Amino acid sequence: MSAPGSTVSPDDESTRADRRLHPMSWLFVLIQQLKQFIVPLAALVFFGRGDRNELWPLIGVGALVLVALWRYFTYRYGIGSNAVVVRSGLFNRSLRVIPFVRIQNVALHQTVLHRLFGVAEVRMESAGSKEPEAQMRVLKLDDALALEALVRRRGAAVAEGQAEDSADVLLRLPPAEVLRLGLVSNGGLVLIGAALAGLSQYTPDFNARVPGRIGSQATHWLSGHVQAYHLDAIGVALIAMALIALIAGLLKLLSIVLALLRYYGFELSEHGRRLTAERGLLGRWRTTVPRRRIQAWTLEEGLMHRLLGRRGLSVDTVGAEANEDGRSLKELAPIATPQACDALIERLLPRADWDRLEWRALPDATWWRLFLPDVPWALLAVFSLYWQVGAWSALALLWLPWAAFKAQRRTRRIGYAIGEVLIAVREGWWRRSWRFAELDKLQALQLTRSPLDRRCGTATLWLDTAGAGALAPPLRIRFLPENEARQIYARLAAILSQRPLRW
Amino acid sequence: MTDTPDPTASTEPASSEPSPAPPAAAPAATTPDTGSNGWQKLPSRAVLLCTIDVSLSLAIVFAIAGVVLGVLTVGSWVGIASGLSGALLGAGIGTWIGLRRYRNTLWRLDAHGFAVRRGVAWQRETLVPLTRVQHLDLKHGPLQRLRGLATLVVHTAGTRHNAVSIDHLDAQDAERLRERLGRQLDHDEDA
Repeated sequence: MSAPGSTVSPDDESTRADRRLHPMSWLFVLIQQLKQFIVPLAALVFFGRGDRNELWPLIGVGALVLVALWRYFTYRYGIGSNAVVVRSGLFNRSLRVIPFVRIQNVALHQTVLHRLFGVAEVRMESAGSKEPEAQMRVLKLDDALALEALVRRRGAAVAEGQAEDSADVLLRLPPAEVLRLGLVSNGGLVLIGAALAGLSQYTPDFNARVPGRIGSQATHWLSGHVQAYHLDAIGVALIAMALIALIAGLLKLLSIVLALLRYYGFELSEHGRRLTAERGLLGRWRTTVPRRRIQAWTLEEGLMHRLLGRRGLSVDTVGAEANEDGRSLKELAPIATPQACDALIERLLPRADWDRLEWRALPDATWWRLFLPDVPWALLAVFSLYWQVGAWSALALLWLPWAAFKAQRRTRRIGYAIGEVLIAVREGWWRRSWRFAELDKLQALQLTRSPLDRRCGTATLWLDTAGAGALAPPLRIRFLPENEARQIYARLAAILSQRPLRW
Repeated sequence: MTDTPDPTASTEPASSEPSPAPPAAAPAATTPDTGSNGWQKLPSRAVLLCTIDVSLSLAIVFAIAGVVLGVLTVGSWVGIASGLSGALLGAGIGTWIGLRRYRNTLWRLDAHGFAVRRGVAWQRETLVPLTRVQHLDLKHGPLQRLRGLATLVVHTAGTRHNAVSIDHLDAQDAERLRERLGRQLDHDEDA
């Protein structure tokens, strides 16, 4: 991977670090710093009032402006033959040479303010580090795009010796699709949940007081109305249901708005060996990742997806996994028809034969083993509800037949496939998922056997990939017959020991 | 490479031998899961270290429980007695757990990679292919230094199993393992 020319002696490159950032960049540095120093500044505003000196906050902001200007005047970058050079600092100088081949991910981000000024923030990331290698806040949009194209072209030219640079659009989401995405997603719920969690962290007694107060006031208000209308039990139930429906509807609406903000104008395109995704209504994100940086793939189909005849395809990449929105390429197809998803996989993994994979069922996946984990939960629900509603709590046991039915359906769908290039696992019935990775991208293998596994003669095979999120379905094959599991384990071990890791 | 009195010394040459020979033999060797085909035990010096932490913590927990029970039911003298017996019981159970853990911790280095097998009820066997080793840690705690033992941690780029560690290895084995696994890293850099 490392071409001989990729190591650059800093001397001949440093002379070329002659480009400045956009003249307005100090403003954005300032905004970013204000975000960071908001707490001390707020403290100054509040506590500075004691000694009647209202200048302190102004002085603070002034100092930050000076720092921002200082940054602007000392930050230079340049483009050498093989590398991007970044020079910063005056007293404490740093010179950074980042070879094009090492730059894995180029991310452009524009907020509304950025768009007003026609500028963009550029981050360049390499394989290993969590922090971006270079962060240019901010460049003119044209310069940023040119820089991105240059990195793409040079990186490809050094790596493959040829640069085909026709941008093929792989997927484009029209607004109707984005609306569907909003219907499918739970973004609103997540946002509200996160907001509540954040609030309860910052205000210590939030948990105890505020929801209680809101709740009591709401019930007060409600009960006043309810009593005024002299409703009976059915009426109360109807009102409760209407309320729940209203809240659910509002959350969905919020999800749709969020989806529009995030995914409006989504476009996935392929430039040579790099994938570029662009999206966003007000703020725009544009990320570029080499195709081989994709570590593992997840194809998901929830209930809503199925109703709308859509699926979602997402991938894990390594590098900036800081969960910061938009920094890494996560969703190849936020929403698309199953055919489009399949075509996309086929296109990006041409040798994997995704369409012709031989799916194998797992005969030892008996339904009761999937059913078993639900039993303690149902019992727990019965016990905890018993104190509230008495014998009616036994109704919670009704969950069990449903769980059994679900478990049976799931056992029928569970399966795995091993091709020449790909290993894939299929799970779930209500919410279906396909998880797959190229064999080269596996990092470690684990074979586990629980006491129950040993009784049934089965084993679970875990396949570890890099960059997997905690929420992604795991790449594991459950309920494998033991000898089959050992065979796969040995086969994968042999394959992996032959192939060096390529980032 | 001085010879040590533990059983690992006899099998070590086979496992430290580099790549060419074993690939064909290795899959066959993995299928029968028991037996000593390449799987190495921890040295017998490690028994004490394997058991001591579990038995100590269990002894303390049981002792406290015993004291509380004794004092609450009869009186302070009985409390001390029951505390002592609780500590003994805890230490006994802890020793039993530790021994089983010691017996079920095995490791193997073959042409494919470094594998660790552990767990009594929930058994897990983790394999890090040689080509996927990112970096290695070798740790010697004070007690381990006294007994000539070491902890080896093999890091990969993965997420769930990004660090495979094995406690209380023979220090020299650990050295050798580090060298063997580290050699692969150099190869990767060249490639």
